[in-house]
Amino acid sequence: MILVIAEHRDGKLNRATWEAIAAAQQAGAPVRVALVGAALTTLATELAAADVAEVLTVEHEALGAYTADGYVMALASLVESEKPGYLFFPHTYQTRDFAPALGARLNRPVVTDVTALKKDGDGFVYTRPVFQGKLNADVSVSGPAPHLVTFQIGAFRADAAARKSGGAASVRAVAATVDASAIRQKAEAPFKEAKQAVDLSQAERIIAVGRGIKSQENLALAQQLAQAIGAEVAASRPICDSGWLPMDRQIGSSGQTVAPKLYVALGISGAIQHLVGMKGSRTIVAINKDPEAPIFEIADYGIVGDLFEVVPAMIAELNK
Amino acid sequence: MERETLDVDILIVGGGPAGMSAALRLAQLQKEKGGEPLSIAVLEKAREAGAHSLSGAVLDPSALRQLVPDFKEKGAPLAADVHHDSVYFLTRTGKLPFPIIPPPLKNHGNYIISLNHFVKWLGTLVEAEGIDLFAGFPAVELLFEGDRVVGVRTGDRGIGKHGEKKGNFEPGVEIRAKVTILCDGVRGNLTKVLVQRLKLDDGRLPQVYALGIKELWELPKDRISPGSVAHTMGYPLRNEEFGGGFIYAMPDGLVSLGFVVGLDYKDPMFDPHLAFQRFKLHPLVSALLSGGHMVRYGAKALPEGGWHTIPRPYADGVLLAGDAAAFLNSIRLKGIHLAMRTGMLAAETAFDAVRAQDVSAAFLQAYERRINASEVRRELYPVRNVHQSFEHGLFAGLAYAGLSLVTGGWWIRDPMPAQAGHERMAKLAEYYRDARPNPDVPVSPVKIDRQVTFDRLTNVHYSGTRHAEDQPSHLIVHDTDICRTRCREEYGNPCTRFCPANVYEMVDAGDGGKRLQINASNCVHCKTCDILDPYQIIDWVPPEGGGGPNYEGM
Amino acid sequence: MKISVCIKQVVTREWQLRVADNGTWIRDSDASFELNEPDAYALEEALRLKEKHGGEVVVCSAGPARAAQVIREALARGADRAIHVEADALATAEAFTVADALAAAIREERFDLVLTGLQSDDQGFGQVGVVLAERLGMPHATIIMEVQADTSSGSGALRVKRELEGGWFQWVTLPLPALLTIQSGINQLRYATLKGIMAAQKKEIKKVAPASVGAASVQIRKVYFPERAKKTQMIPGSPAEAAKTLVTKLKDEVRAL
Repeated sequence: MILVIAEHRDGKLNRATWEAIAAAQQAGAPVRVALVGAALTTLATELAAADVAEVLTVEHEALGAYTADGYVMALASLVESEKPGYLFFPHTYQTRDFAPALGARLNRPVVTDVTALKKDGDGFVYTRPVFQGKLNADVSVSGPAPHLVTFQIGAFRADAAARKSGGAASVRAVAATVDASAIRQKAEAPFKEAKQAVDLSQAERIIAVGRGIKSQENLALAQQLAQAIGAEVAASRPICDSGWLPMDRQIGSSGQTVAPKLYVALGISGAIQHLVGMKGSRTIVAINKDPEAPIFEIADYGIVGDLFEVVPAMIAELNK
Repeated sequence: MERETLDVDILIVGGGPAGMSAALRLAQLQKEKGGEPLSIAVLEKAREAGAHSLSGAVLDPSALRQLVPDFKEKGAPLAADVHHDSVYFLTRTGKLPFPIIPPPLKNHGNYIISLNHFVKWLGTLVEAEGIDLFAGFPAVELLFEGDRVVGVRTGDRGIGKHGEKKGNFEPGVEIRAKVTILCDGVRGNLTKVLVQRLKLDDGRLPQVYALGIKELWELPKDRISPGSVAHTMGYPLRNEEFGGGFIYAMPDGLVSLGFVVGLDYKDPMFDPHLAFQRFKLHPLVSALLSGGHMVRYGAKALPEGGWHTIPRPYADGVLLAGDAAAFLNSIRLKGIHLAMRTGMLAAETAFDAVRAQDVSAAFLQAYERRINASEVRRELYPVRNVHQSFEHGLFAGLAYAGLSLVTGGWWIRDPMPAQAGHERMAKLAEYYRDARPNPDVPVSPVKIDRQVTFDRLTNVHYSGTRHAEDQPSHLIVHDTDICRTRCREEYGNPCTRFCPANVYEMVDAGDGGKRLQINASNCVHCKTCDILDPYQIIDWVPPEGGGGPNYEGM
Repeated sequence: MKISVCIKQVVTREWQLRVADNGTWIRDSDASFELNEPDAYALEEALRLKEKHGGEVVVCSAGPARAAQVIREALARGADRAIHVEADALATAEAFTVADALAAAIREERFDLVLTGLQSDDQGFGQVGVVLAERLGMPHATIIMEVQADTSSGSGALRVKRELEGGWFQWVTLPLPALLTIQSGINQLRYATLKGIMAAQKKEIKKVAPASVGAASVQIRKVYFPERAKKTQMIPGSPAEAAKTLVTKLKDEVRAL
């Protein structure tokens, strides 16, 4: 049985939870979803729409705000009572905060940032990025259950999580063995703040511009496209060298390494210094006037053409 | 500005073969002669010893035998014994082997090495002696008292692109030394200043340089026998260009492949990097490379002028050794053993000077006497005019070179007159007359396939070059207006062609014209721009310490 | 404050990666190595905390003999002494093995604070810090942007700023001793000065062998370059046609939109 641990904050489910559910469903074993926190009824109902065997709720006042200690305690006791074969999580900042601690508490292995899994005998072989996504590693896990696995955001599609065609999964409350006094972290309320530098490695979609954009004014076109598809704008080195975009938008060997779901390269020739920073992207689109541009060698989709004609047409199409 | 100071007895600037040999020799002298222990420091601009060292290379082990007699037991990384020499004259499609290997190119008894590995190994010996080797610390300025060198200042760190001090700003250190041994390499930044200031080149011929471009290839294992050494002349160079190719085979399918071009060519549109690509497409070479792949790339300039271009190698408080003082035999294509030898001799003189408490030029002149009495002069003097003879063309040079073997270098005019390389570059109007080419397009392009032939930018990636991005450019072009006006008109911006690392580009300025763009972080520290720019307005200074190529295996 | 910083030596970022003959790691016998970049931020934070609150910084590393390089670099920047858990196998060991090795080596030291980077640039499991905290019985917090230490009251406490996704942050208080994993990019590691390098040569590096290790439970079967499963689809037609086709394909074929 695979137990998917849902993530939520302020009464809202993190969409990545559905991705973990999709991964669990693909794995083929019976799936249950667990919710940890306080006042979970609405969230449980939402999750019960998934095509899973059961939704388990672990409610306790002390779990109202997320703390590493609280979650580890609650899930450790849940594991003891439910005896899952696997714990699946989305690889979020929160998961990274407590999943390894849970694994250590249970003395069970944790595999993080998984992009794919395939059956292998009684278990699975997991694919995960190493060397900042420049290589993949296939890993196998041995030892007693449960095995803890976290899935890279976007590796599985949230909308691929099957929903129940009629009815809903049953929801069952599980008593939590949580000792509030043993929770050592005291968390204050989260707050929003403008981040100093943009972290492109977190972006799911990126529009990157190169010399082909010709002038700083033309960046607006790229920004429009980015807005239309919900992407971040990034650039190859010459653009940042000219000061048209700040250095933290640079992709490549002297900038950031990214592997988003979608990377659209506008007017980028594909010098190797740039390619090493984005080769791991799941889908690469290249638009360039030069049919010999090296970027086409690694693109999934390529358009040889004038980006100043293609991009406006794309924006128009997207806004339909 | 408050600067830390450090006092040492002997400071060695540069951790290449000359500097490392000097350090090792000093440690030996200390043990031999005893007495008050000397404090010795070696400064190296690269992140680690050997990272900026590259060469063909075929090593003449004579200096090594003297410096480290048990070099084999100590694990000297000698990749292969040379067992086969060949020399070819290449035509566009064919090759003519030389029936007899010219004696200077006979390599029996020599070793094919990776200079990077060799210097790393020397570095371990130096550190085992307890000598401080400060990697990541370039010397940027000489310290003088009057005209006496009293030490160096290392570079400031933590300065931003526009000259502002960043949060982790760290001022450079003043290292005061009784004797400073400059081993800062070909066109060394400190040596350049010293020679100019003290006129150490008075009465000498102007220096001439060459650019060596090299790639390390991995070939299918049995393609070529380890220990084979091949040199080529002719194609793709014309009679008016000096240079040739080299192919050195090491074990495990590794091959050093490269091309050397004299930086005194006439044609302003000539492109050394393209010539190297053309060389690789020659049937002899492309057959060798098929199925292999390039794993490393690099370039360096070579001081080729020979005996008559060597400056006075001493002054108050300072000695010059290695490539910095042009101790290189351009006919044998060897400089490592001379760098080691002069490093050792400089160490001996420096040691005596410190012990005698006299570091004046008068005392340090003993270094010159030592050089004149040593194998260094015995080797370099007879070939003193050979490089200069090539100014008259390949065949003239070969003829004179052959003659000099018999005559011990004699010529009607001795020294044979010579001209600095950058002065020999003809203007576009002169060279091309009415057929003025487009400066932004190669005159005879070569197909770049990124399998065998590469563009500069791709090549630079394989040099492992990395610099901290947020720092001022270390290529100081004193008047970029000249670039877009006079130079573009007169020479067609040759820097965009002679730099093997894509540092210089002429890009659209937005007003219809062009402007110079300097991609400083691509720089592989070869010094070609400092050497060959026709207006001599480019000064190469060391970038922030630790930055530069990573010549693993080169 | 007695602070430990755990650092790792990894191949340099520009190293040309090639898969080793055994297929389970990269060829690194001739590689250049450097300090794992995320650990540099942890090191700088530790040095700043020492400057502010006094005490000592002990740098700890689990790795083969060559890891001494990054240990020396950390000592040259101001760490006071070092503990090197030395074993070749630690270079590619799984997170739990490394954390166990570090825990055994540093438990007796009774550090007030242990700092680590977020994850390593090679394996990138991102677990050693958190597992180490559990093994040492310390509370932990991850992805920390800022550390405020209150050493006045008895055993002391920390107030730390955690980064959450999407531009959200949170302050968390936890008692000392504690472990923090430090967010990348929050500071700039200071340079090693010449005097620092010279002093580092005299600083203590305690070498310990790792306690016997259980069998690995997470094993790398193989590493490989991600293959582009599909060939490049060149989309023909006029700009308007091609744009339309592309958008449709992105929506339907790869669901990237």
